[in-house]
Amino acid sequence: MSNTVAQVRTRMPRIAEVAVERARLTVVPRRRTRASRVPFVALVSMMLLGGVVGLLLFNTSMQQASFAATALGEQADTLAARQQTLEMELDRLRNPQRIAAQAQRLHMVQAGNPAFLELGTGTVVGEPSPGDGTTPFRIWQLPPAKPAAINPAPHVVTVPAPTTTTSDSSGSSSGSSSGSSSGNSSGDTGRGGGGNGGHQDMKNQQHRQHQQHQ
Amino acid sequence: MRQTRPPRPPRGSRRGSPHVRLRVGFVVIAMALSVFAARLVQLQGLDPNSYAAMAAAEGLVEVDLPATRGAILDRNGEPFADSVDGLMIVADPELTAAQAPEIARFLYRHLDIEYAPTLAKLRADDRFEYIARRVPSTVATAVVAAAEKRGFEGLDTRRDPVRDYPGGDVGANLVGFIGTDEPLAGLERTFDQQLSGTDGSARYEVGGGNRIPLGESTVTAPVDGTDLRTTLDLKLQWYTQKVLSQAVEDARADSGFAVVMDSHTGELLAVADAPTFDANDPTESPKADLGSRAMQDVYEPGSVEKVLTVSSLLDLGLVTPRTQIVVPPELDREDRPIHDWFTHGTIHLTMTGAIAQSSNIATVLAADRFRQGQLYDYLRAFGLGAPTNIGVRGETQGLLPAKTQWTHQMQDRIAFGQSLSVNGVQMAAAINTIANGGVRISPSLIQGSATTDDGTQVGTDHATERRVVSTRAARQMTAMMERVVDPEAGVAPYAQVPGYVVAGKTGTAQAVGEGCGCYDGSFDVSFAGFAPADDPRFTVYVVVKNPRNGGGGGSVGGPAFAKIMSYALKRYAIPPTGAKPSRLPTTW
Repeated sequence: MSNTVAQVRTRMPRIAEVAVERARLTVVPRRRTRASRVPFVALVSMMLLGGVVGLLLFNTSMQQASFAATALGEQADTLAARQQTLEMELDRLRNPQRIAAQAQRLHMVQAGNPAFLELGTGTVVGEPSPGDGTTPFRIWQLPPAKPAAINPAPHVVTVPAPTTTTSDSSGSSSGSSSGSSSGNSSGDTGRGGGGNGGHQDMKNQQHRQHQQHQ
Repeated sequence: MRQTRPPRPPRGSRRGSPHVRLRVGFVVIAMALSVFAARLVQLQGLDPNSYAAMAAAEGLVEVDLPATRGAILDRNGEPFADSVDGLMIVADPELTAAQAPEIARFLYRHLDIEYAPTLAKLRADDRFEYIARRVPSTVATAVVAAAEKRGFEGLDTRRDPVRDYPGGDVGANLVGFIGTDEPLAGLERTFDQQLSGTDGSARYEVGGGNRIPLGESTVTAPVDGTDLRTTLDLKLQWYTQKVLSQAVEDARADSGFAVVMDSHTGELLAVADAPTFDANDPTESPKADLGSRAMQDVYEPGSVEKVLTVSSLLDLGLVTPRTQIVVPPELDREDRPIHDWFTHGTIHLTMTGAIAQSSNIATVLAADRFRQGQLYDYLRAFGLGAPTNIGVRGETQGLLPAKTQWTHQMQDRIAFGQSLSVNGVQMAAAINTIANGGVRISPSLIQGSATTDDGTQVGTDHATERRVVSTRAARQMTAMMERVVDPEAGVAPYAQVPGYVVAGKTGTAQAVGEGCGCYDGSFDVSFAGFAPADDPRFTVYVVVKNPRNGGGGGSVGGPAFAKIMSYALKRYAIPPTGAKPSRLPTTW
């Protein structure tokens, strides 16, 4: 199109050049806007650069997070193991056997009867009694019985009692007599009443055996 | 090529014609690409897997994620058995041999393991030795780190979970124990499936010890084992075990067991065995002590069984507590005469007196009122001759002669507790029927529900109730049993618990010996009872086998019963009901 315009221009007389030029209607040439490419290129490069840098940063931060995760995981494992070990220790400390042993070391004895206070009526139920430490509560197993060869019967010498006022019913003399009468029950002083029941049941046994034999 | 080169270009330019150069370039590129293509075919087509595996092996880590084994808890959540993260310490003798004595001494000092065997292992002629197993992981890590610090090489740790039994022997006979790799006994083995859970695994790529963020990563999470909650009460269990073992030791008896049961729910609060063992070190104890005698031994219950006989009679209305019985010195029956445990002439006992004095003859005379088969039906209803299915392996179901084999002589003996055998929990549940107003509630050991290794569902969810005798008969029976602990009328005054009304019954039974399969002259003594008698909360049953101090049910079992019952009442804060013990006449 610019060609035709040029031809027209050349053919026109020069006088009314300007007027003709003005009067003549021509097709307006499409404006070719040559917008600057710089912003676009800059934008794209920025995006590219930003993307690459961002990706790099992201990757780096993920690596960092991975390091942190590993370190924290290890720490968590260590702490979990520590917690478990402490719990184990706590359970061992709470073992009733250990507590009982500690209590006995402090010369504590088993509680007696409790009394109950009824809150509604204010009455006391039960007869409270203090703890009675006369019969020790054995929390450890007795050592296994030794064979007779290495555990000979004690040699008991009965010393005639001095002729002062010693009555048979006093606690000390009954203790010594029971000690000498049965060599194997030494130290077993807390079973005053037990003997009676034992006797009855001894009879019981004999009778049952009797029945069996017949 | 040189011939085609035109001589025109100046001397400095030797690049040749573009066409030639292009062609040469293409040929070179084609050759290079062919080599690549051939290599590609070789890699991908001929043997792709081995290369993939090699690539995977480079940096790909595969670890097991072991499931944590569930704990075995008591009713308050305190552990009988617990799992702790543990490690094993292993050694590579090739590295440790040089410093073996130093390392052995170091390990002896820090891990308390024996010196000589460790030294031998450290010098062994291979590349892998277990030095210590089941070490808590904090300890193991610290020891290995300390060893490295001292310059000892060749020690390493591997995962090795620790099973800890904080109570040692508390509940050990029921809970069982774990061997090196698998559960060997008790609840540990019966409920292994529930306790062990399912192991998981994880695969991921590592670089420099850290997980590669976008690398391959698959995780199958482990499913931890479920805790097993029992109905036992750890502290009561401990106390019961101590009282029982003291009773067994003092009576110089072979063994014994004790059962504490909640009267209303049938939940077992304690099942003690003596002798027992340390679950942390089961190999130290004889094999015979590793099971539960309360569940696995049969024995004849003896006079305790009279409670069942007489309450059945009461239920049928055949006797009352005041029924008058003339008791001859001995009773001649078909095959042999029946005696009482005490010598007497002809005496006049009421039914109550027969229980309070534990008279065999009076009980047999009363049992004559049963029609054929009635006693058998009652005993079955009380739960004898059938396993309790509480989830203890190897439980015996006892021996109740079949109805068809039931003879009159047999009924005479069964009426006072011989010629039939039971296990401890079975008998405790039968006595508890009286405590629970005539309704037998099946005993349970597991809270909720659990499945045993043979597929049985057990636990409190599956507890059943069934009426055996009427409430009235149970109440009458209780009143009669209160007379047993009366200092004048009864035979077991030591079973009294101060402040409370106790109902109980002694038992002294001939025991069947191990060798001959006959009564060998040894005895099993027992005491069963419940308190407070007018509103029972606990049923306690103590059995001591073959006491050698001449004690009977009242003098050996009674005091142990009283101690256990008193402790249980205190522990659960059961106030005395204020009732007075019955004054039923025992003679006429």
